[in-house]
Amino acid sequence: MAGVRPGAESRRSGEAEEPDGGWSWVLVGALFVSTSLVFGLMRGLGIFFVEFVQYFDESAQAISWIASTGLAAQQFFSPLGAALSKAYDAGPVVMAGGCLAGLGLILASRATCLLHLYLTMGLLTGLGWGLVFTPMVATVMASFRQRRSLALGLAFSSIGLASFTFNPLFQFLVETYAWRGALLILGGLSFNIVPCGACIRPRRRPKKPEKVKAATESRQSCGGALRQVASYLELSLLCERPYVTYALAISLLNVGYFVPYVHLVAHSRHAGFSEYQAAFVMSAAGVTDILGRVASGWFSDRGHFRLIHLLSAWTTLAGLSIMLLPVSSMRGSYAALVGVSLFYGFSSGALTSLAFTVVPTVVSAERVMGALGLLQLIESCAGLLGSPLSGLLRDITGNYMASFVVSGAFFLLSTLTMATLPHFFARTDPPLLPVMPPMVPDAETQSPSSETEPMNESPGDSNQ
Amino acid sequence: MMPASWMLLLLACCGHGNPKSVGQMLPAEPGGDFPSDVRSVFLKDKGHTDKMEVSSPVNLTLQCTWTDNKVDNITGFWRKDERDIDNSHVTLRQENQQFQLQRMFIIKDEESLGNYSCVFGNEAKVDFILTVPHMGDVRDKPVVSYVGDSVVLLCKMDDNKPKPKTWLWFRANGTDKEQIDTVTEPQKYQMKNDEKSTKLHVYNLTHDDSVLFYCSAVFAIGAAVSHLELKVITIYEPLKPFVAIVLEVLVLVTAILLFESHRSKKAQAQDASGDEVANAEAPNAEPPATTTVTTSSGESNGLDENPSARQRNVENVAQQKQ
Repeated sequence: MAGVRPGAESRRSGEAEEPDGGWSWVLVGALFVSTSLVFGLMRGLGIFFVEFVQYFDESAQAISWIASTGLAAQQFFSPLGAALSKAYDAGPVVMAGGCLAGLGLILASRATCLLHLYLTMGLLTGLGWGLVFTPMVATVMASFRQRRSLALGLAFSSIGLASFTFNPLFQFLVETYAWRGALLILGGLSFNIVPCGACIRPRRRPKKPEKVKAATESRQSCGGALRQVASYLELSLLCERPYVTYALAISLLNVGYFVPYVHLVAHSRHAGFSEYQAAFVMSAAGVTDILGRVASGWFSDRGHFRLIHLLSAWTTLAGLSIMLLPVSSMRGSYAALVGVSLFYGFSSGALTSLAFTVVPTVVSAERVMGALGLLQLIESCAGLLGSPLSGLLRDITGNYMASFVVSGAFFLLSTLTMATLPHFFARTDPPLLPVMPPMVPDAETQSPSSETEPMNESPGDSNQ
Repeated sequence: MMPASWMLLLLACCGHGNPKSVGQMLPAEPGGDFPSDVRSVFLKDKGHTDKMEVSSPVNLTLQCTWTDNKVDNITGFWRKDERDIDNSHVTLRQENQQFQLQRMFIIKDEESLGNYSCVFGNEAKVDFILTVPHMGDVRDKPVVSYVGDSVVLLCKMDDNKPKPKTWLWFRANGTDKEQIDTVTEPQKYQMKNDEKSTKLHVYNLTHDDSVLFYCSAVFAIGAAVSHLELKVITIYEPLKPFVAIVLEVLVLVTAILLFESHRSKKAQAQDASGDEVANAEAPNAEPPATTTVTTSSGESNGLDENPSARQRNVENVAQQKQ
């Protein structure tokens, strides 16, 4: 009778519930909603572009900095969100992030000059987004063990779906209420992140008196405070080879990742296809992107292969398909272009499901939150490089062949970097050294080490 | 002497014409020093419409050629805007199974634009619709803005159309249009013009500004007019859906937090009862060992004691029960 799992919820309230349980799927829903309100909303901001250019009488480049500032702020403040979630709980941090994001948009609706928009819609909203995304992803990853990739894949499919629904919705809002009213309503919509944060159950903190005393003592000294901040930010990760290797691989991936999104339509038009045909290519790739996320998430949870191997495979395939894109349209064959784009969409969606779930195989579970935050920050620098570089290549060579080939090359470089991870060619994931002394290290399991707060739990739960 | 000199002029400048088809007839007024242009249409069936945009004065020769082998003679004439043009009726005879009508028109002002038709008896006709260049991209939805805010109204010509000489703006006043003078009211209106586009900035909007605005591209021959509707609303309009959404968020958050606190109270109560049960059954605590989350049914782990001890105790209890 011992070892029988209870029915609905774990009696240990406060811990993440039994992995893969009912409430975990509620969290997936919360991640779905909050991701769509962060990234889906970010993608829909293009509708405001035309309105801002006309109203403020500014150049297109000045206006496009608003969205860039928002994305950069989201990624830059990710470590802050991770650190705050470690210090306090993830729930209040996400709720605060949702309030800030909404507040930024509401203040932006009162803007009278472009600087206001940079500070509110860019910086403040981006800060809110940074406090939302990383803690939510880390929480969902912590509450799943067997279905982690599927959960993330389902949640991230919201980005593509949100783009479909938000574009006409935003268009309607701008036509009915002008951009000021539309931004006000978007701020209200962003407040829906707050209920998502409320779904996160508070983490139980065990009362270990010795530790608390040591903590308060160290807090009194300045060095101790700094050390505490560094531990919250998981800065020690930057000295670890596996993590740095992985972060480098993801950054290389990021350089090339956005290029097809930005240039595919232009390339299709350049190859001689009409506007509708070019737009259709993009939409088709978007649909297979959503399918790829879900399918890859489901498949990788089957456990047939190591996550890192699957990620390398999808990255290689995506890189090859990007390189094939300009080749496929060389003969003027529309079918070939659409085919390669569908394949590119599927493989690039597939790899996004896995990019986060690999992190717990590289770092131990309690550092996942901080690791994700730092990862976002590092990859943001790379993402900023990608589009201008490809634009430059296009200007120099006159067509998109060079920029697509270079982006695909970055994908392949990323795979090669991943191959230098320790134990890459092993059949199972390597054991991870946790911060706490392990009770029973379990190196036999294929799935990553335990995902819940391990304060009083050993890594490697063999009870499946 | 006058008719003879006109015939000479005709032969000089239109020497390639076919004197046998007897389709030409000069208009009474001189052509001036406008440029010349020719527009031809070959008609195969009953009717055809040809649209043409004219931006500056021109001597336009319109030619209609109709193929038909049913009749030998037909009366051809010209119409402008559904009114027959006097002295334009001619009797046509077939030339290579074709009837041809040709006439030169002086298009010099807005009145000379319109619908010109060459009619072959009751059988066939060709419509030439002459207009000023149209403005593309006419926005059918109203432009929305707020009381006290400013707005920019934009009108532009397509790239392949000619450049207007100047731009004018009007606003509707009842059923009239009154011209907007940006010089006399600089704090209310400002006009910024490009080659092919014009922007009207309107400041300090009030509800009275919710009218139709007309932008007019002035060409040498006339003006093209397009209109924009401006709608001025107060901040309360978007505030209504905003408040609705905020209320929905508050309701959701309250519901979730209530659910959470209810659930955690229930769990704490069960933990308390579980503690009592476990303490009664197994007073000997064991040193800590590995632990998992699992419990046997009916009992719960103690929350702040050694969970492993609890596990062992529970296992003991379970084994004892069995």
